[in-house]
Amino acid sequence: MRFITMDIKKCVVCRNCEYACSFQHTGDFNRADSNIRVAYHDDIKICLPQTCMHCEDAWCMEICPAAAITKNEETGAVEIDSGRCAGCKMCILACPFGNIHFDKSNLISRKCNLCKGEPQCVAACISGALQYVTAGDSCRNNREIFQRFMATLHTPL
Amino acid sequence: MEKKQHYKSMCRMCNNHCGINVYVENGRVVNITGLKEHRWNHGRLCVKGRLGVDLVNAPDRLKKPLKRVGSQWQEIDLEQAYDEIAEKIKKIQQTWGNRAMGIWKGEAVGFLTQEELARRFAHAIGSPNYFSNDSQCYVGRWIGYALVSGTWAEPDFANAKCTVIWGSNPPYAHPNMTQSILQGRENGGRLIVIDVRLSAMARQADDFIQILPGTDGALALGLARQLIRDDLISHEFIKGYTHGFDAYADHAKAFTPERVEKETGIPAERVVDIARKIGNARPKVCIYAGNGLEHHENGINNVRAIACLDGLLGSLDEEGGNFIPEKIPLRSLTLYDEKPLRHLGPIGADKFPVLYDFRQECHTMSAMDTILTQKPYPLKGMVLTGANPALTNPNSRKVIQALKALDLFVVRELFMTETAELAHYVLPAATYLEHSELHTYPVCQSIGISPEIVTFPECDYDYMFWKKLAHRLGASHYFPWEDENELNQWILKDTGITVETLFDHPEGFKYKSRHFQKYKKEKFNTPSGKFEFVSDYLKGHGYSHVPEYIAPTYMSDPNPEYPYVLVTGARKLFYCHGRNRNFKRCRTAIPHGEIEMHPHDARQLGVDTGDVVTVTSSVGSVDIPVTVVPHSHILPGVTQITHGWKESNVNLITHDDRNDPIDGFPLMKSVEVKIKPKRQEDGE
Ligand code: SF4
Ligand code: SF4
Repeated sequence: MRFITMDIKKCVVCRNCEYACSFQHTGDFNRADSNIRVAYHDDIKICLPQTCMHCEDAWCMEICPAAAITKNEETGAVEIDSGRCAGCKMCILACPFGNIHFDKSNLISRKCNLCKGEPQCVAACISGALQYVTAGDSCRNNREIFQRFMATLHTPL
Repeated sequence: MEKKQHYKSMCRMCNNHCGINVYVENGRVVNITGLKEHRWNHGRLCVKGRLGVDLVNAPDRLKKPLKRVGSQWQEIDLEQAYDEIAEKIKKIQQTWGNRAMGIWKGEAVGFLTQEELARRFAHAIGSPNYFSNDSQCYVGRWIGYALVSGTWAEPDFANAKCTVIWGSNPPYAHPNMTQSILQGRENGGRLIVIDVRLSAMARQADDFIQILPGTDGALALGLARQLIRDDLISHEFIKGYTHGFDAYADHAKAFTPERVEKETGIPAERVVDIARKIGNARPKVCIYAGNGLEHHENGINNVRAIACLDGLLGSLDEEGGNFIPEKIPLRSLTLYDEKPLRHLGPIGADKFPVLYDFRQECHTMSAMDTILTQKPYPLKGMVLTGANPALTNPNSRKVIQALKALDLFVVRELFMTETAELAHYVLPAATYLEHSELHTYPVCQSIGISPEIVTFPECDYDYMFWKKLAHRLGASHYFPWEDENELNQWILKDTGITVETLFDHPEGFKYKSRHFQKYKKEKFNTPSGKFEFVSDYLKGHGYSHVPEYIAPTYMSDPNPEYPYVLVTGARKLFYCHGRNRNFKRCRTAIPHGEIEMHPHDARQLGVDTGDVVTVTSSVGSVDIPVTVVPHSHILPGVTQITHGWKESNVNLITHDDRNDPIDGFPLMKSVEVKIKPKRQEDGE
């Protein structure tokens, strides 16, 4: 099972991911409809893309009184069934990361569903900041980067 | 229902040519995604790439040939249109001479061959007047680098220990280049961004150097001085393979960090610091110069000064530096050897011989004057394909006036652009999804081909368009190939690669693996055969032989009437030059043009984001809404407007006649302007 990783040392806040997500779900390029949100903190020059982590024990899923939120067996995505969602916004309150937003036109909650296993934000990320990988891959990748970094600190005798 | 068909091709929504999957259902393109195996983009595709679906299916696409009758458009049969156009071309050439016809190539519809086909056609009908947007974009950098090293080398970002992105914003300009830049950084490389604006690229920079527009040459010379002084240079390269080091070093000497600070606005200690960082990473230093360096009065020499750094550092043709790609022996379609026409006086070649010598480009800015004044000779007809100079050339008012004055103006286009509106005939063009063309990727040393995926009956592709006209003009022997498949085979003939092989390699067929330091065996493609810190060729033309620095006019001779300096042409997501403004979805995201302004300037003018201001230069005025950007994004006194907006066309105020003396590039990026809030009562 894979999830979306975000590398803040690569994101350039170009917003391709946000628009690709909006397009996938609405057919328009409207950032407000995107499930991935990219924040840019100008003062400290931090680029921070953020999207659902599809928690194993998901707070949103736990709390949803309409049982509209389920885990997709195939992709591992935590998904909202828009037919069941009552628009009570409990999930929005419950998610500690703010990864669920409210769709004002349809009066229901919206979140990332991993696009059936082909997340469009990742496909549109031109910097490589977003990757769709397994937890194992992600950890291996980070380890390699860290080891390379350590290697640069070492000056040969 | 028909099954979905899947094709693999290349994107042409910008100049990156990313690999794409194209899905077709019932004869209609329904989706475009990134091609995983492609060498350039590795499956990633910017949102512009997906917009190819909007492009090919656009409801406002031109599908019928149109002829102007009075103030109306009338549909006309395609072959009839070709007949009439050919007749008119003949008449113009008989009356005014062959050179009275111009051919103008845009870049909107094709890949590699579109340019050579247009060049071929011009010469086939006996005119030296081939034009393209290149005389004001790209070629300035190409010539700057070629003067020094014989070519413009390709950046090997992924292996660089230090990358310098200078006057370019890859995330919007060359999206998937961002991947390799940041790969280099992940591999431990440092990223330095030198720019007027804190661009998207600059957000990830280890060092962001904010520079005053058009002063880059002073910084480059200042860096050179530091590198030489601190002995952070490659003696082996300089000694063995370069020309004119002493004169250049002598010239650079004057550019002390203090002087650089005065010229560029960059604190002296940062100049020292950056020089050390670059020098310590040598030779794996990858300096990439962007379009921000063109469009200045001293553009070419600024680029030359930057190009010279590669020689100092020994980073040219190095892994992790700027490497010189090896070419694939494709057959050329141009007729410059077979049928040279320089004696006919290509427009602009008298004033800007370097532009013609290096690129055989005529000068589009001079073309407008030629049309209007008939000097040095009449230019009466123009056939233009896939370009929109009414919006993208400087001084739009003059451009429109000139194009309207033509006896024959033919535009081949996808949409009724501002330029097409001025034409006598508008012919519908085929998009990049509707024909088969070759394209090379020098940085990957690979070559690809696009398949014909869908077609529309009257939308001829490039080759067919030129062939049909040539056949009516007695130039059929120059266009003997039945169709573009035959043409592609002919172009590939000497490579030993077949069209079939290319279709089997949608990832890009690698024609050769990379080799470095080829200069050890072969000469540089310069007059001396060496890397030229100084150019005797330029000297022969009466220019300075060293990359001299001349400060932009707004610095050297400030005019209190125009207290702001305006940069134009920064790239935006969704838009490529003048394109894509007709797609509704893009307008949802970025609805209109804007002038980017520092909060301090906005306060002084008493305006806020959304307020409309009138921006005036000595050329004209334009009304445009303000966007106040964060403090760090732009320097006070500096403003930016992106081109391509019909409603707020910045080229109404850019200069066509203040040119870089060497290549003739127009002044569009350090324009002196005044800004006035547009009050309600002033407006209509
Ligand atoms: S597409 Fe990638 S680089 Fe661009 S904003 Fe999203 S995460 Fe950042
Ligand atoms: S960067 Fe975007 S527009 Fe340019 S070729 Fe790639 S997908 Fe197409």
